[in-house]
Amino acid sequence: MSYQIADEPTETSLGAYVVRPTAPLLAAMVCGSWLAWPWFAFNAIAMGSPTKRKELLIVAGAFVGTAVLAMLVIFLARGGYLPPGIPTRLAVLGIVTFKLSMTYYMSVVQERTFHVYEYYGGSVRNAGVVISLGYYLRSAVIGVSDDPLWIIIVAGGI
Amino acid sequence: MEERQISVLLEQAEVQRRLANHKGAIELVQKALAIDPTHAHAHAALAFCLLDARRLPAAGIEIRTALALEGNDTYIHYVAAVVMTAERKLDDAWAHALIALDEGHGDAITHVVAAEIQVLKGDNARAKELLLEALELEADNCDALTELARLELNAGNRAAAEEHIELALKADPSDRDAHVVAGYVALAKGDDAAAEQHARFVLNQESTHEAGLKLFTAVKAKRSPLLGVWWRWNTWVSLRDDRRQIALLIGTFVIARILIIVTDELGYETLSQFLSYGWLGFCAYTWFAPELFRKWLENELGTVKLDPDY
Repeated sequence: MSYQIADEPTETSLGAYVVRPTAPLLAAMVCGSWLAWPWFAFNAIAMGSPTKRKELLIVAGAFVGTAVLAMLVIFLARGGYLPPGIPTRLAVLGIVTFKLSMTYYMSVVQERTFHVYEYYGGSVRNAGVVISLGYYLRSAVIGVSDDPLWIIIVAGGI
Repeated sequence: MEERQISVLLEQAEVQRRLANHKGAIELVQKALAIDPTHAHAHAALAFCLLDARRLPAAGIEIRTALALEGNDTYIHYVAAVVMTAERKLDDAWAHALIALDEGHGDAITHVVAAEIQVLKGDNARAKELLLEALELEADNCDALTELARLELNAGNRAAAEEHIELALKADPSDRDAHVVAGYVALAKGDDAAAEQHARFVLNQESTHEAGLKLFTAVKAKRSPLLGVWWRWNTWVSLRDDRRQIALLIGTFVIARILIIVTDELGYETLSQFLSYGWLGFCAYTWFAPELFRKWLENELGTVKLDPDY
């Protein structure tokens, strides 16, 4: 029996599907949040991350926060409170900044566990195929609905 | 009997830690804690080992457990100062360093840690005082001489830095940190070859030595203007804690996007496009440069061979 250190991941049956946290981070930029955020959540579970709960809360917070900000901007724009041009574009920039901050934060939190996971010889899968597939499917996913709320939540980009 | 067993395991762990076998050291302390999970010294030792393995959040948890179990132990306060310095909680680190110094057991190494905190707080004069006090306690303390050399080098006093680092290497010719500072002194003199020798010596001893890798990279970055730019940017950003790093990166993004939006809306479309492509280029460069750098380092370090007489 050994003493369990707080940052040690526990073994899971999904260990073969763990990817570097930079993979979902890249996916957020080239594919969109629809792929990146659930992927962060899956990676946390697959890794057996001790901060799994926190990571899942960040993912949930990112979705909810983006939805709330998007609804606010859409309401202000439709109500005529937010004139088109610079004000609207800056408001959208605010949402993109929030999404990017949450994504970076998830990446930083997951990177800590990943460092320990890799340290103990955990397997790491190449994420190239998933990112390529995500890039290919991006337009189809974004085009599921033409509601601006949907587009703002699922889109990505730098 | 249990206490004896724990002491032996902690001593063995300390040996492994000094040999840079972080994994081995951590496993030994884990065994000690399996015997007695309330052993404050073992928690502090584990924090030290975890810090060496760059597992800072876990080190923070362990040292706080140690402090909760035993709040009056000098060694625990010393380790707390080291861990909290790494966490950049400098006021807390200084408070623990002061307790460690006040207990009457303020040895040279505790003075060195206190000096490192003062450097980070920006008080180089106080840091120098502490290092001189350390040298009064132990004239040939390698850590104190190394830190003094680093301090002089940062202040632009290359001759004094060279003098101190020579003494440090005389006191302990195999000290990795001393070799790193000696490398930077050589770099400041423009002697890239000598700097590289120091870096290679460190990496031969411990291939994952962070400061050694940084020195090696600094040498290589000096020779490559393209990757050198990224290295300087990365070093500048990584001086901050995680939250500030994110804030800095996001801040850069926001400034770039605002400039793009405003120039576009004001009719300066060419400038807006130029900024947009510039930003994309910067993103691509900062994304791929670390990977290129890592590959380059792997190739370079693959050629490191031990001297047969070593």
